Amino acid sequence: MGRKTLSLLLAGVFLGASTLASEVVLKKPPESLDNYYPPKSKKWEFLSKMHAMSTYFYGINLNINNEDWKNALRWAKELKKEYVATSKMVPEWKEYFKPKLADELVKAVESKNVDNVLKAAQALGKTCAECHAEYQLSVKLAYHFPSFESIKLEDPIEFMEMDTGKYMEKMTNSLKALKIYLMQGDKDNAAQAGEEFVERVRALKGMCSKCHTSKLSVEAIMGKEYMSNLDKLGEVLSSGSGDKGKVFGLLQKATSACMKCHNVHLVPAVVQEKFEK
Amino acid sequence: MRAFLIPVLFSLTLLGCGPFEEVFVEKDLLERPQAKRCSDCHADIYKEWKESRHALAWKSESYRRESENYTKTKCLACHAPHQVDPEKKPKLRAEFKDDGVACVACHFKEETGAMHGPLKVWSPPHPSKQDLSYTKSSFCAGCHRETYKEWKLAKSSKSCQDCHMKSLGKKDLIQKFPFYLFHRAKPRHSHRFTSLIASEEDIKVWFEGGRLYLENVGVPHNLPTADQGDPRLYLIARIAYKDGKVRTLRRMFSPQAENALAPGRPVGITITNAEGVSSIKIKLLRKLSWKKEKELILSREIHGEGLPGQVRRGNPEGGEGVGKDSEG
Ligand code: HEC
Ligand code: HEC
Ligand code: HEC
Ligand code: HEC
Ligand code: HEC
Ligand code: HEC
Ligand code: HEC
Ligand code: HEC
Repeated sequence: MGRKTLSLLLAGVFLGASTLASEVVLKKPPESLDNYYPPKSKKWEFLSKMHAMSTYFYGINLNINNEDWKNALRWAKELKKEYVATSKMVPEWKEYFKPKLADELVKAVESKNVDNVLKAAQALGKTCAECHAEYQLSVKLAYHFPSFESIKLEDPIEFMEMDTGKYMEKMTNSLKALKIYLMQGDKDNAAQAGEEFVERVRALKGMCSKCHTSKLSVEAIMGKEYMSNLDKLGEVLSSGSGDKGKVFGLLQKATSACMKCHNVHLVPAVVQEKFEK
Repeated sequence: MRAFLIPVLFSLTLLGCGPFEEVFVEKDLLERPQAKRCSDCHADIYKEWKESRHALAWKSESYRRESENYTKTKCLACHAPHQVDPEKKPKLRAEFKDDGVACVACHFKEETGAMHGPLKVWSPPHPSKQDLSYTKSSFCAGCHRETYKEWKLAKSSKSCQDCHMKSLGKKDLIQKFPFYLFHRAKPRHSHRFTSLIASEEDIKVWFEGGRLYLENVGVPHNLPTADQGDPRLYLIARIAYKDGKVRTLRRMFSPQAENALAPGRPVGITITNAEGVSSIKIKLLRKLSWKKEKELILSREIHGEGLPGQVRRGNPEGGEGVGKDSEG
C-alpha cells in the first residue's frame, strides 16, 4: 500500500462520521463534564485530552509513512494511555470508550503490518466519531461561551434590572414603535420611541465589557462609525423633522449590529438556555 | 509633658548624629511591609486610608466577582500594585494583595530605596525623598487612565489631589511617642480618597427649543467617570403639561454606555409636545460602582420656556439623604 492511501484513510477516521451524517444532533452534555470547563476549571482538561489523542494518532500515521515503526509504536502507546485516561473522566460517557480497541491498535503497530494498523485505527476512530456526532457541537456551544443567563442589564428608560432576553424585547418594542409612529406620521411619539431605542442600544454596548476584556471585539460590531451613526439617528429624531427616508436609512445601519451580534452569540445563548446551563 | 521631655531627648542627640540615626532606623520598613506597619507611626494617615476605596481595591466583592475570582490576569495589577509611577501602568505585587492600593505601593521606590513624598522631611526610621510628582494628576494616571484623559481635555487648573485628597491644613505626620516631638506639623492631605459628589452648581440644567439640556460645568472629568467600574447618573424629569397631563422621562448616563456628561458638552433630550409644557421637575441621582444606593445630586423645577424656577435640595424618592460629601 502506498503512502498516500494510508494518510488518506487515516484522515478518514475523523471525517467519517461528520460526512455521513445528514442531520445535526445536539445532545445535552452530561453534568460531570462541568468539572473540566470554566467556571469550575480554567484548564479545559477535556479539550486538551482531545488535542493530545488527535496529535498522537497523527504521530502513528506520520511515522508509518516514514517507515519509522519504533516511533509509531511510541505514539500508539501514548494514544492508548490518553484514551484510557480520558475514558475515566466522564462516568456518563464510559460506554463510548472501548479501551480494548486502543490496545489492539498498539498490537497492530507492533506487528508492523500496515493493513492491521489501518483496520485497528478505523475501529478505534469509530469510537471517537460516534461520540463526536452526538456531542461535539453541543459541548462547543454549551461550554465555550460564558452564559448570558447570569448577565443583568439595567434598562436606561425604566431603571430596572432584567435579563438579556427581556431587555432585547424592550429594545425591539421601542424599535417597532418608532417604525409604526413614523409610518403614521406621528412625529412626537416617533421621536420619543426613537430616542428610547437609541438609549437602549447605547446601554447594550455597556454589556459587552462584562465578557470581553479586549476593546477590539466590541469595536468590531459597535465601533466608532456605528456609534456616530447612532448619534446621528438620535439627532435626526430629536430635530422633530420626521424625515422618514433619513430615519429608515440610519436605522438600517443601527440594526446591522443586531444581526452581527446575533450571528456570533445567539445560537450558543439559545442552546445554553435549552440545556439549562 | 512635651515641654519637659524635649530637653531630655535632645540631650540624647548630643551623642552624635550617626549613632542616633542608626538607633532609629527600622529596616523592615524598606522590605515592603503591610500598610498596618506604617500605622505604628503614621496612625492618622493609616486611619484615613483604611476607610478609603483604595484599601478595598482587592477585597471588594464586586471586583472579586468581575475579575472571575482573581483569575482574569488583565485585571490584577491596578488593584494590588507593586509600585506606582506617574502615567505608568503598575505591575502586580506578590505580597499582601489584600491591602489593595496601599502605602508602600504608592510611596516606596525601588530605585532609591526610600519613601517618596511631597515634603522635605527628616525621617530617621526610613529614608525619605521629596518628589513633587506626588502633587500632580499624572501620579494617579497609571490607573485612572480614562479619567486622566478626560481631565486633560477639560484643562482644569485643579489636580486630582486638590479635590480628592483635600488639604487638612498643617498636622503631625506621625503620632508615635516620642518621635512626634521632634517634628513640626506639616501640610497634610486626606488619604480618605473620597469619591465626593457633584453639587448643584456643578450641573447646569435648562429648557430651550423644546429640549431639556444638561451640562457638566463643574467637574473636570466625565460625570460619572470610570476605568472599569460601572457608575451611573440617573435623570428623572416629571413633565407637567398645561392640559393637566403629566409624563415622566428617564435617562441613564454611564461611562460603559459612552454617554457620560463630558465637561462643557451639553446633552439635549427632546420633550414631546414642548409648546404645551408648563413645568419640569428634575431630579439627578448618582450611583457609585460599589454602592447599591442612589444619591441625590440635584432637584430642581423649571417653568415654561426655560424660565428658571426655584432651586431646592431634597430627598430622592425612597433614597437616602445625602451631604455634600459621600463620607456623610
Ligand atoms: C465520549 C465522547 C468523546 C470521545 C470518545 C472522543 N471525543 Fe473528541 N471530542 C468530544 C467532545 C465533546 C469534543 C468537543 C470539545 C470542546 O469543543 O470543548 C471533542 C473534540 C475533539 C476534537 C476537536 C478539538 C477542538 O479544538 O475543537 C478532536 C481533534 C478530538 N475530539 C479528537 C478525538 C479523538 C482522536 C478521539 C478518539 C481517540 C476522541 N476525540 C474521542 C468528545 C469525545
Ligand atoms: C456573555 C458573555 C458575552 C457578552 C455579554 C458578549 N460577548 Fe461577544 N463573545 C463572547 C464569546 C465567548 C465569544 C467567542 C470568542 C471568544 O471565545 O473569545 C464572543 C465573540 C464575539 C465576537 C467575535 C470574536 C471576537 O472576539 O472578535 C465579537 C465581534 C463579539 N463577541 C462582540 C460582542 C459585542 C459587540 C458585545 C456587546 C454588544 C458582546 N460581544 C457581548 C461572549 C460575550
Ligand atoms: C450581545 C450582542 C447583541 C446585540 C448587539 C443584540 N442582541 Fe438581540 N440577542 C442577543 C442574545 C444573546 C439573545 C438571546 C437572549 C436570551 O434569550 O437569553 C438575543 C435575543 C434577541 C431577541 C429574541 C429573539 C429570539 O429569537 O429569541 C430579539 C427580538 C433581539 N435579540 C433583538 C435585537 C435587536 C433589535 C437588536 C439591535 C438593535 C439586538 N437584538 C442586538 C444578543 C444581542
Ligand atoms: C495603583 C492604581 C491606582 C492609583 C495610582 C490611584 N488609584 Fe484611585 N483607585 C484605584 C482602584 C483600583 C480603585 C477602585 C477601588 C474599589 O472600589 O475597588 C480606586 C478608587 C478611587 C476612588 C474612589 C472611586 C469611587 O468609585 O468611589 C477615588 C476618588 C480615587 N481612586 C482617587 C485617586 C486619586 C486622586 C489618585 C492619585 C492621587 C489615585 N486614585 C491613584 C487605583 C488607583
Ligand atoms: C489600568 C488599571 C486598572 C485595570 C487594569 C483594571 N482596573 Fe478595575 N479599577 C481601576 C480604577 C482606577 C478603578 C476606580 C475607578 C473606576 O470605577 O473605574 C477601578 C474600579 C473597578 C471596579 C469598581 C469598584 C468595585 O470594587 O466594585 C470594578 C468592579 C473593577 N475595577 C473591576 C476590574 C476588572 C474586572 C478588571 C479586568 C477586566 C479591572 N478592574 C482592571 C483600575 C483598573
Ligand atoms: C517608626 C516610625 C515610622 C514608621 C513605622 C513609618 N514612618 Fe514614615 N515617616 C516617619 C517620620 C519620622 C517621618 C517624617 C515626619 C515629619 O517630618 O514630620 C516620615 C515621613 C514619611 C513620608 C513623607 C515623605 C515625604 O518626603 O513627603 C512618607 C511618604 C512616609 N513616611 C511613608 C511611610 C510608609 C509608607 C511607611 C510604612 C511602610 C512608613 N512611613 C512607616 C516615621 C515612620
Ligand atoms: C494612591 C496612592 C497613595 C496611597 C495608597 C497612600 N498615599 Fe500617601 N500620599 C499620596 C499622595 C499623592 C500624596 C501627596 C498629596 C499632596 O501633596 O497633594 C501623599 C502624601 C503622603 C504624606 C505626606 C503628608 C500628606 O498628607 O500630604 C505621607 C506622610 C503619606 N502620604 C503617607 C502615607 C501612608 C502612611 C499611607 C498608608 C496608610 C499612604 N500614604 C497611602 C498617595 C498615596
Ligand atoms: C474640581 C474637583 C475635581 C477634580 C480636579 C477631579 N475630580 Fe474626580 N470627582 C469630583 C467630583 C465632584 C466627583 C463626584 C461626581 C459625582 O457626583 O458622582 C468626582 C468623582 C470621581 C470619581 C468617582 C466616580 C464618579 O464619577 O463618581 C473618581 C474615580 C474620580 N473622581 C477620579 C478623579 C481623578 C483620577 C482626577 C484627576 C485626573 C479627578 N477625579 C479630578 C471632583 C473632581
